[in-house]
Parts: sequence; structure tokens; C-alpha cells
Amino acid sequence: MEFVSPEGLRLDGRRPTEMRQIRAELGAVAKADGSAVFEMGNTKVVAAVYGPREVQNRSQQLSDQALVRCEYSMANFSTGDRMRKPKGDRRSTEISLVIRQTMEACIMTHLMPRSQIDIFVQVLQADGGTRSACINAATLALADAGIPMHDLVTSCSAGYLNSTPLLDLNYVEDSARGPDVTVGILPKLDKVTLLQRISCRLCMTDTTGEYKGIRISTRWINYNEG
Amino acid sequence: MRGTQLPLNQTQKVRLQRALQQLESLSSKINSNASVTVADSIPVNYEDGVLKGHGTSELNGEIIATVCGIVERVNKLVYVRALRARYKPEVGDIIVGRVVEVAPKRWRIEINYSQDAVLMLSSMNLPDGIQRRRTAIDELNMRSIFEESDVICAEVRGFQHDGLHLQARSQKYGKLKRGQLLTVPPYLVKRRKQHFHYLEQYGIDVILGCNGFIWVGEHVEATDDMVEEQVSKSEQQTMNSDGILTDMEEQEQVSTPLEIRRYVCRAANAVRVLSTLGFIVTIEVIVEIVNLSSSMNLDIHEMLGSEFCVLVTEKEVERRTLTKKKG
Amino acid sequence: MEQRLANTWRFTVNERKFIETALLSDLRVDGRRPFDYRNLTVNFGKEDGSAEVQMGHTHVMGFVTAQLVQPYRDRPNEGSLSIFTEFSPMGDPSFEPGRPGESAVELGRVVDRGLRESRAVDTESLCVLPGRWVWAIRIDLHILDNGGNLLDAANIAALAALMTFRRPECSLGGEDGQEVIVHPPEEKEPLPLILHHLPIAVTFAFFANENSVAIDPTHHEEAVMGGRMTTTLNANGDICAIQKAGGEGVLQSVIMQCLRIASVKAGDITEKIKKAVDSFNTHTALKKIKRHPSSIPMDVDGADSKLREKQKSLVDKKATIPCPSENVVRETKSLDQ
Repeated sequence: MEFVSPEGLRLDGRRPTEMRQIRAELGAVAKADGSAVFEMGNTKVVAAVYGPREVQNRSQQLSDQALVRCEYSMANFSTGDRMRKPKGDRRSTEISLVIRQTMEACIMTHLMPRSQIDIFVQVLQADGGTRSACINAATLALADAGIPMHDLVTSCSAGYLNSTPLLDLNYVEDSARGPDVTVGILPKLDKVTLLQRISCRLCMTDTTGEYKGIRISTRWINYNEG
Repeated sequence: MRGTQLPLNQTQKVRLQRALQQLESLSSKINSNASVTVADSIPVNYEDGVLKGHGTSELNGEIIATVCGIVERVNKLVYVRALRARYKPEVGDIIVGRVVEVAPKRWRIEINYSQDAVLMLSSMNLPDGIQRRRTAIDELNMRSIFEESDVICAEVRGFQHDGLHLQARSQKYGKLKRGQLLTVPPYLVKRRKQHFHYLEQYGIDVILGCNGFIWVGEHVEATDDMVEEQVSKSEQQTMNSDGILTDMEEQEQVSTPLEIRRYVCRAANAVRVLSTLGFIVTIEVIVEIVNLSSSMNLDIHEMLGSEFCVLVTEKEVERRTLTKKKG
Repeated sequence: MEQRLANTWRFTVNERKFIETALLSDLRVDGRRPFDYRNLTVNFGKEDGSAEVQMGHTHVMGFVTAQLVQPYRDRPNEGSLSIFTEFSPMGDPSFEPGRPGESAVELGRVVDRGLRESRAVDTESLCVLPGRWVWAIRIDLHILDNGGNLLDAANIAALAALMTFRRPECSLGGEDGQEVIVHPPEEKEPLPLILHHLPIAVTFAFFANENSVAIDPTHHEEAVMGGRMTTTLNANGDICAIQKAGGEGVLQSVIMQCLRIASVKAGDITEKIKKAVDSFNTHTALKKIKRHPSSIPMDVDGADSKLREKQKSLVDKKATIPCPSENVVRETKSLDQ
């Protein structure tokens, strides 16, 4: 199947290094300390942050820093077919772990000892790139809650199809089972904090091509969020 | 102000927008350029020597913000005031909270902070009013003083190793009854000299807790503990645990009159309107809003409607122009 | 996250400082240099498809089993591969029995990504009857001792187990050719799995000091490190997967350097695994030959060719024991009728 036409346009009319349209909105969940809705094209994710608040499980309390918990789930109606198990399956557990470790690296946890920060992320519409959208939404929600952070974390995904690096894959391009990589960076410090790659064997030079595309996109997200 | 969920029609929207714009123009011009987001660098004159306050950190010699907010400068101190954050306690703050747990020799109180606050048994006056050492029997009778989900008023004593400690030694602190507890964002309540307000014309008490919990209730005289104890003992004989009285006479004494309840609701709605609009909650504003609503003969539930909110905004504009002219 | 804090072993401030300062001068506590792996030993069990890997103090066992199942609806011609991890509480005081915790799930998924998404195991050859019966390969990884860097060790255990696993041969029979007959190993020699390449996981640990990177962290170094990155690549230089799940941020140049180092290490480890598997295979072949008496008149076409191959391999490797080779020669002669 041809993902990049000879004129250089993708299936949805974008150029290879062009991102989908981004929309972000703060304050979606009234009850939460901070919340955000983040849209990347058709992928829509809502994140809510509660905290810092009292640790619910006293045995897990850390005396010198805040405990960060994260839960990722996909709504039943987010994908085309109704999902049987929206959370608790291995993919959700892994993504919860990834998001938690990414956010933990940038939250200044030592300023809030003995407390707990809960991050809940839910995917409302899944059209590829859900992991990146979740991280962007979580960053916005944390900023909305006034939780001190070292830096914002911005994230984007990219892939490689028809010998072209493509930025911000949607579901069709994602399910082509080509290599894809999700990168999360701290823009101010210019450091990479999240890097996940799934591929079917690709040599290293192509990785750098994708990676450059992601850096451009994360700068763009950063300006939009600010 | 968060995106209001009020159903506004077109004229109301226009009026609201205009009023908000006027408010913005009235606000101090200096601060309009000082808003920062996370990881923005703060412009600082380095030769002066700078003290980094809350919400800032250093990176490669320049100062960057760690929260989204407004930069404030006081002499050499530079800090970032977060727009929305949990309550930040200071010693001596008056706060209102809810008991979540009765623990050995202490109560744990929820106060919208990153941890639950602790009220020690020794920081609380005993029911019989005598100053004495707390014995084991006192510990067993803690529930007769406060139980779970009671609302109490206390003062911040300080930070200890295991958290925030409160004290409630004076008459004006203690359990709050016959009223409503409201939660507003903590930044809407500024620290003033007085947090306990008694509105005589209505007969209600308003307590503005610095943590954003506001109590509006029937006025209770701060009586001597000994007298209260005797009165409550005689009442207990006629009351069962639900508080339903068998004696009709006593019932009239104990329950709140309807008029006062109405005023309590009006004041509570006034606070709710202020919280939706994001205006600072002070007693003067509350009184003004209550007067406004009774002068217009609005029903209490209409106070939460969109028309009233727009009116309140316009009133606020008037008020601020007046204060600005004076000041 | 479910682990109870009371069960974790605590780290002293002095130990942490020592490890960090030692790394500044490129020294590690166990005497390795920053980019050295620990000693790797791969042992095999009695059954086909079981492997035991020891890397320093880390001890992991891998078991491979296969079962005939119905294929997925959208992939009727392919078998399936699934990985299950078991973090046994005897390995580490912080492991709890019961449902796998987050780290167990992560380990399973990273190994799974390396093997399945990179098409290391040929799933199409696992198909017996398209749309009806396929082989489902199940890999169970048991952590016996957590000495740090469980991911690499578990990956190696999985690969070693896959390479020595033999699945039973089956043929189609019955009236309409739709029935599947599974031949027991005495009847027909079981077949190995087809592995296109070996994806090797290489884990890097990032520390709070700038540019402090170490490969193959021990348990102590894992407690000190700020972030971790696991790259899965094969000896051909292809990157199969990268997993850097948050933690300390690092510069891009450091990541590219790590990838280059990882490809070198992957080649080394592939060599080691292949050597261990080959020696095990010869060992079993010798044992098998001792097992088969020369008078079993079975019509085993598959085994015949297998024996011929083994005979060739034995001759090539110059088997040290002369007697068994004589037996082999006699046996092939008897079968050649």
C-alpha cells in the first residue's frame, strides 16, 4: 500500500514532516486540581491531575518526596471496535508506567514530601499517537495544577514508510507495522526523556532522520502550549 | 475565571465580555507583562543580587520559573505566584477543615493542602474547660469532642516533623454547626486582619478560611464552656442519637428559624457566584451581593442564574472604579 | 507501585556517593569499566526449550512450550508468540506474589517487542492448517535472583530457550486431510523453530552526573541511577526496539553513542549464545545416539535425514568419542535398504 504519493503527499494530504493540527484546552475536569484536553488531529486525550494530596496508602508514603501515580486507560468507544478491556491489560500497565516515569523525572517531587500526585489519562478518540498525546496532556494538566516542574515534556511520534521518514503517524500509517518511534523531550534542557521504538529491523541512519523530525515537532508543540 | 458553564444568551454574553474587559483595563498595568509559564526565564537584573523565592529555580546561571503564574518582585526577592495551586499554609492562618480520621491523641483534618493537617488533643480545649493534663480517658472520649466528617475551625500552629499542626484553644475555634461549608479556590481568599465576621442584620456568621473553605452559618454566641456543658447535658436526656427531639418546646429552641436559614443560603450563593466568576471573596462584597439580591427580590435559587452573575460582574466594575478613584 | 516500602532494601548515602564518584573516574564497584558486561553463562536443562542464564548475580530461567490453538481471525496463517514473566519473591524482597507488577509487565513487553515485532521468530512456519490449527509458542521467564539488569538476562534466556526448543512434528491425516496428527518425539524427531535473527537487549544506565553512562547495571547501580534505556538490536546492526521510559533526560549525542556501543555488544553476546547453544546441541546429539539402539526398524524419514545431518556435523566437528560414530555408521547402513 502506498503511504506516500509520488508528489510527496501522505494519505491525509500532509507532507512527510508535517504534523496534524493541535488543540489544547485547560480546565476540562472541574473537580480536579488541574486538567487538560489535548487533540492531535483525531486523537483526543483528557488528563486530570489530583494533588498534591494526602497519601492514601500510608505504607507507600515517601518521607522526602511526593509519590507520583499514573493510570492510563482507553475508553471503550475510543477505537473503531468496542474494546473489551479498557484498563488493567498489559499494554495499559506499560503505558501507565512509561507516563509515570516520564512525568516523575520533571516534577520537583522533593518540594512536596509525604504527599501524592495522581495523574489520570484517558483516551477518548484513538487515531494513532496516543502515547504522545497522553504525555502532552499530562504536562498541561500538571502545569494547570500549579505543580512545580523542571520543564515541560513534549512528545511526538514518527515512522518510516516507503523509504520516507514520516512525522506524527495516524492509525492507518501506524497499523502498517513499519518502524515507529515515540520521543519525549524537555525543550529547555534539550534532553531526551522518553524514547520508545518498535520496528521490524531498521538500520541506524534512518533513526536519525526520524529523530530530527521529532525535534522540530516538539519545538512546535512547545510554542503552542506556551 | 474558568470557562463558565452558565447558559448565557447573546446580550448577557456581550455584557459580560464588556464588564470583564473593563476590569482588565482597571487592573494594574505593571503585572500584565509578568506572566510566565513553566521553564520560562525570568528577566532579572543580576548586578543587584537576587533572592530566588518560591516557584523559581536556577539553570545555567539564569532563573527560570517552575510554575505557571505571575512574577512578583519585592526588593531583591523574586518569586512566581502560581495562578492555581493548593493552599499554602502560614503560621497564624485561620482555617476551616473537615475531620477525616480520629487517631491516637489527634484528629486528622482535611484542609485542601498536600497533606492532612493534625490537631493534637492537647491543642484542643476539653469540654469541661479545665486546663489539665490529658489522661487516657480523655483519649477514649475524643469522639465526644469531634467525630469523622465534623467541620471545625482552627488556627495553624506550625509545621512539625509529621506535618502541619493546628490549634483550637480559643473560644472562637471549634466545631461548627448549623451552616454550610463552601469550597472556593484558595487564591480567592486573601489574608486579612479579621476572618470571623458576624453579620448582625442577618444573624449569620461568616468565617473565611484561608484555605478556601468558607463557613456560612447561624450565629452562635461564644459562650462559656461550663454553661454549655450543663445545657447540653439536660438536652441530651431528651435527645436520641439522631438529634430528633421528643420535647416540642425544646425543638423550637434548638432548630434554626427560617429567616436566618434564608440568609445563610443567600450568603452561600453569593460566595458561589464570586467563586464562579473568580473574584476575590471579602465580607464587603458578600454583603453587597446579598443586599443586591434582596433589593431585587430575587429568589434564592435565581442568584445562581446567568442574569445575576452578569449583574454581579457589572457591580464589581463599578466598585473597582470607585476604589480606584479614591485610591 | 504495588510494592510495599517496608520490603525494599534501603540504600545508604555513602554507597550512593561512592558509586557516583567512582563512575566519574570510569570505575565501577565490581571492577568493570563502564561499557563492560558481566560474565555470562548459559546452561540448559534436560528438556528441550529450557535455558538458564546467569549474569553476575542475576539468575533467570526461560521455558518454551508449544500448543496447538486456533489462530487469530486476522492472521489465519501465522502462529503466535506470547511471553509471560514471573517475578518470584525469592528473587528480591520487593517482589510480591500474585499479579505481575509494573516492572514485570514492562519486562515482558520489551522482550515481546524485541522478538515478535522484529519478526525474529518465523510465525508462518508455525501454521499447520491455515485458519484452523497453528502452534502457539509460550515463553515463560522466571526470575530467580535479581542482581540487576533483568531485561538483558531475560532476553538472553528467552533466545537460548527458543533456539533449543523442538516442537513436535505433525502431519495432516484423517479422511479429508483436515485432521492433525501430532507425532510424539519417539516417532518423529521434533523440529526446531526458525529464527531469522537474534535480537539482543542491551541496557544502559544513566546517572545524575552529566555523561555518566554504564552498561549492564548491577542491583546497587540500579538503585542509584536516574534513568535507564534498553536497546534491542541484532548482530546485523538492525535496531529492533528502544525503550527509554522516562527518568533522567539525556542529550541526543549520548543516545547515538549508546546505540553504536550497543551494536558492538550485541555482536559479542550473539557469539556467546550461539557457542553455548551449539555445544548443547552437540551434547544432546551425542546422548541421543547413545540412546537409540541400532536395531529399531522404524520408518522415520525425518529422523533419517536428521541422523544423516547429525552424522555430518559429528564428522565435521571431529567427535572425540570413536565408538558412537561407529554405531552411527552401522545404523545408517541398516536403514539404507
